[in-house]
Amino acid sequence: MQPAVGDYIVFGLLAAGVIGGAVFTMTRRNPVTAVMSLVGTFFALAATYASLSAHFLAIIQILVYAGAIMVLFIFVVMILNREEVAPVALRGLGLRSLGVAAGIYLVIIFARIVRVNTPSDLPVPSETFGTVASIGDILFRDFLYPFEAISLLLLVAVVGGVVVSRSHKKEVAAEQAAERRKIVEELQRHDFPALADNAAEPHGSGGHH
Amino acid sequence: MPTYYYLTLSFVLFLVGTSGVLLRRNALIVLMGIELQLNAGNLAFLAFSRQLGDQKGHAFAFIIIALAAAEAAVGLAILVALFRSRQTINLDEASLMKR
Repeated sequence: MQPAVGDYIVFGLLAAGVIGGAVFTMTRRNPVTAVMSLVGTFFALAATYASLSAHFLAIIQILVYAGAIMVLFIFVVMILNREEVAPVALRGLGLRSLGVAAGIYLVIIFARIVRVNTPSDLPVPSETFGTVASIGDILFRDFLYPFEAISLLLLVAVVGGVVVSRSHKKEVAAEQAAERRKIVEELQRHDFPALADNAAEPHGSGGHH
Repeated sequence: MPTYYYLTLSFVLFLVGTSGVLLRRNALIVLMGIELQLNAGNLAFLAFSRQLGDQKGHAFAFIIIALAAAEAAVGLAILVALFRSRQTINLDEASLMKR
């Protein structure tokens, strides 16, 4: 099946959207703008998946990536939004242009290799290629064990995320209370009961017991 | 479209994500670069899947998307914890494990 001219135009538009969105994401100073252009990149990628007859994956891409993951990103960006003073680590025009040149060289070499080693025409896909029914069949027959493992991984990741990101105020308060108790004991051992009373009162709330 | 167009697109996308991961100092943008890299991998899986007429690549891509969700959840939680302990998400200032 040789591609028509329209196919090339559509692919060119999608590729421009994907690469442009990705470059825009990586070069923005403001993280909110970066997240928004990343959402645009994921929409263009979903369209590219659909052009590869992967309709189910295209829908999942929009639901999970552009929906769920990006909402998570936006929440965190809004919690920790800080404008950067100097966003890029690499200094000096020489190093940067060297990096760009190396990247372009890599792309050319890679494109040559895959061009020689992959057939130049795509086979016509079967009727059921990329449908929910056939992917579900594979997922629950051949990939049942990885599917269950990934559900366990998601559970662990969510619990781990909650544990890592929760506030540690209570632990810090308990640590400080233990410290204070130690000081009180020390002072009492050295026969300074008045000072010990003072130390036992955390913020000088006044009044002797 | 021939498969190597998609593979080249995937490679360029991976390169853009990698340069973001290596060059940016903002940890949020670095996480976005990792998402771009995972998506480039997905695109390559789907392109090969279409070329070979085998839908196992779709199952792989599905699992990678779930993995990316887990990675984003844990990564962002670590960022929030990092910000709590030192009021910055600049990776140059967060090079030590201790406070």
